[in-house]
Amino acid sequence: MRFDFTTEEKEFKNQLSSFLDEALPEDWHGPADESRDDHWALNQQIKRGLAERGWLVMSWPKEYGGADSSPMMNTIFAEQMAYRRAPGHDRFGTRMFGPTLMRFGTEEQRKKYLGSIARGEIQWCQGYSEPNSGSDLASLQTRAIDKGDYFEVTGAKIWTSLAHRADMMFMLVRTDLDATPHKGISLLMVDMKAPGVEVNPIINMAGVHSFNQVVFDQVKVPKENLIGDMNDGWRAGMTVLNFERSGIDYAAWARAALEELIDYVKSEDSEVNSLKSDPTVGRKLAELQVEVEAARLMCYDVSYRQGKGEIPSSEASMSKVVATETYIKVLDYGLELLGMYGVLEPGSNQAELQGRFFKLRMFYTSGPILAGTNEIQKNIIAQRGLGLPRK
Amino acid sequence: MDFGLTETQELIRSSAREFLEQNSSPEVVRVIASGDDEAISTLWKSVVDLGWSSLTVSEEHSGAGLTFSDLAVLLEELGAHLAPTPLVESSISVWIIERYGSDSLKSELLPQISSGEILVTPAIVERDASWDPESTRVAATQSDSSLIVSGEKRFVAFGERATHALTLVRIYDQPALAVIPIWQAENVEKTPLDHASGVPVCSLSFNEFEVGQSNVLATGNTAIEAAKELIAVGSVARSAQLAGLGRAVVNATVDYTANREQFGRAVGSFQAIQHHLAEMAIASKQVNHLVHVAARSFSRDGYSIEAAARAKIAASDKISQVCWTAHQCHGAIGFTWEHNLHLYTRRALAWKTDYGDSAFHQSILAEALGL
Ligand SMILES: Cc1cc2nc3c(=O)[nH]c(=O)nc-3n(C[C@H](O)[C@H](O)[C@H](O)COP(=O)(O)OP(=O)(O)OC[C@H]3O[C@@H](n4cnc5c(N)ncnc54)[C@H](O)[C@@H]3O)c2cc1C
Repeated sequence: MRFDFTTEEKEFKNQLSSFLDEALPEDWHGPADESRDDHWALNQQIKRGLAERGWLVMSWPKEYGGADSSPMMNTIFAEQMAYRRAPGHDRFGTRMFGPTLMRFGTEEQRKKYLGSIARGEIQWCQGYSEPNSGSDLASLQTRAIDKGDYFEVTGAKIWTSLAHRADMMFMLVRTDLDATPHKGISLLMVDMKAPGVEVNPIINMAGVHSFNQVVFDQVKVPKENLIGDMNDGWRAGMTVLNFERSGIDYAAWARAALEELIDYVKSEDSEVNSLKSDPTVGRKLAELQVEVEAARLMCYDVSYRQGKGEIPSSEASMSKVVATETYIKVLDYGLELLGMYGVLEPGSNQAELQGRFFKLRMFYTSGPILAGTNEIQKNIIAQRGLGLPRK
Repeated sequence: MDFGLTETQELIRSSAREFLEQNSSPEVVRVIASGDDEAISTLWKSVVDLGWSSLTVSEEHSGAGLTFSDLAVLLEELGAHLAPTPLVESSISVWIIERYGSDSLKSELLPQISSGEILVTPAIVERDASWDPESTRVAATQSDSSLIVSGEKRFVAFGERATHALTLVRIYDQPALAVIPIWQAENVEKTPLDHASGVPVCSLSFNEFEVGQSNVLATGNTAIEAAKELIAVGSVARSAQLAGLGRAVVNATVDYTANREQFGRAVGSFQAIQHHLAEMAIASKQVNHLVHVAARSFSRDGYSIEAAARAKIAASDKISQVCWTAHQCHGAIGFTWEHNLHLYTRRALAWKTDYGDSAFHQSILAEALGL
């Protein structure tokens, strides 16, 4: 066992860190609100910079724009980006869809799309969930009818993050109504500018436009946009979810927030000055630091195992549960420390830490819900990981 | 023992429900949260017309003379409907004026409060966000028959609408609790805060603000005692609202999960969800019991500071957790702005710290236990 980073990993982390020092505006606290044009412009600008340095997809093979490095490099990248609350990487493309395409796509599809993901040229979004198909994704109803030389897609996706900024969507559609639910599904790529695609904003409980409803009305999708075999999309689609399921962003966000709280308690400028004299504050922050560190190790373990060619499904679920819950614990304690100031919204007069903790707490209520709810993850841990009976 | 409601309380509850369903619907709550002053006035006027502002005012001052327990039943319903109206602020001020005011102050203020002519709101917390009356810094100097007040009170609920603030100051080194008129007064600046509670909250900054000596309710140790009682009565009032809020969230979540189907069955049929809901229901019941015991302890002769602390500790910690678990049970739909759940969550978070968070009340309870 060895728990420090290699020289190469350390060097990369430093380089990325200095790049972000330059690229992020002074006094940047994030997170980016991609519905804001200035934040989106920043996202694009940083993405270009990262792509130029070859950092977006380091673990990919060289032929597709990667650097053949270990998954650990990706984890370090994701961790550092999240720790700085930096915008500028398209998780949907680099982390989920790209790897899936590598596995299930045709050579032509890989050539056409992987390079553009590596170069950060297009934004992807993920069209899986539907109003009646959340945890039970296999019940999805959006239809794709085979019209000979194209598919005609009709239906609606919901909760689609960043659809309002995306160029392309990878989506699960039903192509066989008669087959059992899992067997009649296919994975398609759809151009968001195609006629018949309509993106309707949904505002989240933090007051931010982060996800959408996407309606498809007889949208023509070229046949060559099918990934893998017809009616075999479930397998490919689930691979995406495996890639999606890491807690590293949350673990890093938790660490950033915890450090911010520690600084706040130490700071001479904080209004809530009783904090310094209360011994329970230090103990609680220490307790949280243990959880943050443990969450981080869980996430490293996942990428270590991936690097050895394993598919650590149960470990990935564990890291997702632990990291999303740890982040929330840190944010909750932040609100507690801020006391009466904790419930001032960002932009309010007299807000402390710019009302950031309140907004973050609202926003990351979604952590244990998205990418497979934590209840579903715990089912996976118990059944797949611990081998407990399903019934 | 009797865990049941009295006839009066049953009546209060049913008429409150009927009224609030109409007049404090989620639409009204949202409109008021977005800053609609007129909607606040309309609702408050109806509340006064129903006689709720005079519920605990003694009969000799033209009130209904009901108990704090009776009021708690009403506040629970207000909480369940997130009613954006200053009844807690007004009622707890009444409580303190009844207990500590001189006869002349009582007969001057209480009938006007009952009739809605004036609105009194407590203004206790200062910059350091502390609910400890001893940490008061706002200073007053004495000249002839008046006080000159300078300093800032923060987080004053309905401070922009209130005609009077019930506030704690220091005259030189002596604490003093006073009801001071802030309506259209000069030398008091109101800074609005964008507050999660969805009701208007502001800071009040006094700049050599002159108040008549007759407005002082209590001084010295009595002022501190009165302030402590104000915080205790406020914390029980907030806990009663939180109890109602928790119950409403449990009911809404039972409703949702019993009807939302995934995998061909109601999500409420999965044990993971059932256990979430069972925990929520337990928490909300615990709070409910502690609140009613605490409310019962308040009489014209005194109150139990321990029961009050217990109620607020439980309500603060448990009800916000009830809301978060409710979000988890709702999935993505409960994460939207359009869904009403976050209105409850925001309010629960605001009430969690109002009149002291659980850490504050744990210290009080520990002290009461001789620790
Ligand atoms: C911020 C955010 C962003 C999102 N972005 C995207 C996106 O970009 N693309 C996309 O396709 N989707 C996206 N989603 C949707 C997300 O994948 C779903 O919300 C999630 O799968 C849960 O589905 P649901 O919301 O319909 O909840 P439901 O499935 O209705 O679940 C409701 C409750 O029931 C529980 N439950 C359900 N089944 C079981 C079970 N078998 N055992 C125990 N408990 C169960 C759940 O855990 C939950 O608590 C996003 C969601 C959020 C909140």
